[in-house]
Amino acid sequence: MKKILVADDEMSIRLLYSEELKEEGYEVYLAANGREALDIVAKVPLDLVILDIKMPEMDGIEALRQIKEKQPDLPVLLSTAYGEYRQDFATWASDEYLVKSSDLDDLKAAVKRYLKD
Amino acid sequence: MATERIAFLTQMVEVFTSTVSFGERLNNLVHLLARYLKVDLALYFGLDKARETLILNLSSQGPVPPHLRVEFPLGQGLVGEVAKTRKFKTAHRDQPGVLAANQALEKLHPAFVTLAGFPVADDNFFYGVLLFADRMERHFTSTERQNTQLVNLMLAGTLRQALLQEEAKKRIAELSVLFEVGKALSSTVELDVLLERVVTTTAKVISARGAALQIIDGVTKEVRVSSQYGEIPMSCPSPTTILATPASPGELPFLQGQETNAAGQIHYFLAVPLTFKGQLQGTICVYDKFATNGGYLPFDPENRQLLYTMAGLIVNAIENALTFKQVETLAEKNERMVRNLTVLQIISRALLITVQEERLQEIILQGLTLEQGLGFDRAVVLLVDEANQTLTGIKGAQRSPNLKNVPLFEALLSPLASELKMEDWQIPLRSDQGPLALTVLQKRPHHVQGAAVKALSRTLPPGFSAPEFFVVPLMAKDRTTGVIMVDNGASGRPLEEEPLHVLQMFSTQAGLVVENAHLYSTIEANNRELLLIRERMLESDRLAALSSLASGMAHEIRNPLVSIGGFARRISKMVEEKSPLRGYVEVIQEEVTRLEKLLREILDFTGENLSFYGDHDLNKLLEDTLLLVQRDLDACRIKVVKDFSPLPRLHCDDRQIKQVFYNLFQNALQAMHGGGVLNIRTYALEREDGLYEAAAIADTGGGIPLEVLHNIFNPFFSTKDYGTGLGLAIAQRIVSRHYGQVEVNNELGKGVTFIVSLPVAKYCLVKEPGHGAAQASTLKAPKGGGR
Repeated sequence: MKKILVADDEMSIRLLYSEELKEEGYEVYLAANGREALDIVAKVPLDLVILDIKMPEMDGIEALRQIKEKQPDLPVLLSTAYGEYRQDFATWASDEYLVKSSDLDDLKAAVKRYLKD
Repeated sequence: MATERIAFLTQMVEVFTSTVSFGERLNNLVHLLARYLKVDLALYFGLDKARETLILNLSSQGPVPPHLRVEFPLGQGLVGEVAKTRKFKTAHRDQPGVLAANQALEKLHPAFVTLAGFPVADDNFFYGVLLFADRMERHFTSTERQNTQLVNLMLAGTLRQALLQEEAKKRIAELSVLFEVGKALSSTVELDVLLERVVTTTAKVISARGAALQIIDGVTKEVRVSSQYGEIPMSCPSPTTILATPASPGELPFLQGQETNAAGQIHYFLAVPLTFKGQLQGTICVYDKFATNGGYLPFDPENRQLLYTMAGLIVNAIENALTFKQVETLAEKNERMVRNLTVLQIISRALLITVQEERLQEIILQGLTLEQGLGFDRAVVLLVDEANQTLTGIKGAQRSPNLKNVPLFEALLSPLASELKMEDWQIPLRSDQGPLALTVLQKRPHHVQGAAVKALSRTLPPGFSAPEFFVVPLMAKDRTTGVIMVDNGASGRPLEEEPLHVLQMFSTQAGLVVENAHLYSTIEANNRELLLIRERMLESDRLAALSSLASGMAHEIRNPLVSIGGFARRISKMVEEKSPLRGYVEVIQEEVTRLEKLLREILDFTGENLSFYGDHDLNKLLEDTLLLVQRDLDACRIKVVKDFSPLPRLHCDDRQIKQVFYNLFQNALQAMHGGGVLNIRTYALEREDGLYEAAAIADTGGGIPLEVLHNIFNPFFSTKDYGTGLGLAIAQRIVSRHYGQVEVNNELGKGVTFIVSLPVAKYCLVKEPGHGAAQASTLKAPKGGGR
């Protein structure tokens, strides 16, 4: 079973994402900020990470940088309420930049794309 | 004897002191001597002016009739011998040779036997010979001779007096002639009248049948003026001919001669040159001197002298007249100039009234065409269109006839009575487009006439013809902003040079005024635009404030909305199709979707996806970025060598492109930590798919080791201990988003050159409509170059 980490400071989003992804047949780990996310990345052999950008303690951009430094081949998707971070070149290291929507089809399609094998 | 002598001497003194005329006194003296010496005949022979011939002047027998012309050359006959030797001498008829030598005397005294000749002379002058003839053989006692000698002295004295008097009379006559001539010549300054007087007076004074005068230009040899009086039997010799005739030393040049005409009549002429101060030369020539008997005589040196004196007077008079004429012409010219300047002054006053271009053009056209203005029949204003490189017809007008009696200033401000149609009159500014285009290109006025009119006409609107035109440029500083074209086609009056000068003065002024008005209207337009921009900026400031508020709120709303919507979807999947809950959930779902759509719209509007694309100068972007790293470069003792070519503007996101250069500079800095040279070159690049601009950034940091070269564009790949390793990856990502390329030129041991090439704006627009960041949401950002 593929392992996915979802990092988001909003509990409701974490719950929504984990419910939906579990339904798709993935094993889901949850983190409330970048630091928690890095801890899990260090401990668990993950297949994909979904990062929110605006989070307390450590934001998604810093988490992305550190994840890519350590595991450049681990796909990281950014899922954010903000469109403008797209201009920030630091976000370009991510494999996908998705603006949050109540319709999770785009997110699930992207996850499927990176985890198809 | 003594009483007789005293009586004789008394008589002598009486005669000598008598107040009768010299002629009578001489006659009386000769009679007295004849009586005293009791001789048949006493004759006086005077030496002529040439002092070569002795001519019979007086006879004791009364006046000498004209047919009795008796004369002896010097040295011939007794008279000639006495004259030559200046000594008393007698001769006897029977002496050998006497009769033969004195044959002429037989006419006067056919039976003379004794001849006695006394010289008549005073201390310094010899006048002639007194000759006595008698039928008897005679001897003269010494007393008789002494007395005769005494009378001879008196005779000489009388002759001297007579001569002096004659001379004085002649001088007085000559002076009065010159006075008359002078009076005649100075009485007028009208050249024509003067010349007529000159020839008339000259002929009369010299008593010639005719006189002619001509003045030529010494350089062109053209006859400038000439005048004639009386009969002119032959042409007047030119001054050059006279001056070419050799004159005797000390003598002034002249030409004298005679010609026989077909009828065998001899005509005489005398010509002297007239010498002027300037380049003028002239001749005055007199023809045929009247003789007392009705015939003609040649001119003598005295005539010549007089003619010379007159020539001097004539030259003076003519020079005066010419000067006067010049002064008069100048005065006339001045008067016209003053009028023209007044007109120009009034027009310029009128032009100051407005800064409206169209109004100014009307005033200019009125000024050009009004009778009380510059008075051309028709005028046209054309202006240069810099953008299209054409000359465009703006406005044209014919004279407004109803303004004839209106003062100029008022008339200038009146509307044009007959405006000419100028629609679509455009002339390309090329030298093959006739005089109008040439006037602009050469920046000088043209007087279009003759063959050039045809070349001009080709560029004129139909129905626009005249035999000649003036075309003058409208200048503003050293730029031609337009032309003024005028003609007198309607009245047919010729265009003269003077109005062209006035027109040029006018056009200088008009050019400045038109340019000022143009600048004014440009400034006005700019002002309006600035006001508009200010308003827009204020508006956008308000919007920005509003949008930042809206976007803050939108983001806060998005997260809960995603949860609400997401869970509603989940609920709807779980609720049975027939359950009434399903409808409720769907309402939630729909409402969330509607709100999310609204949010997107708000965020679109507030510029979440704002593009920072604009037109930028690549060189400037490099310079700006260099400033950011200047301190580091200096610290590492890195020398920067710039070789920038001027480039067209590039459509790009300047912040991102600066980021590219910043990253490349950082790379170079790290490679040349111990110093080196950073070479930056920009240039235009022609590629198959269009025009590119390139920046080549070369360091001297030894190049990139081969084993890592293929990794340099990978994200997070770094050979350095510090930094993210994202530098080159980011650079490449940015450049590919601009549809450009980053190339690496690695020279191991020397250094590395990164060449960033970017397509110029136009190409980019053509290739990808809807360019830039606006598209980024649909565009999959390309991956780093290494993979």
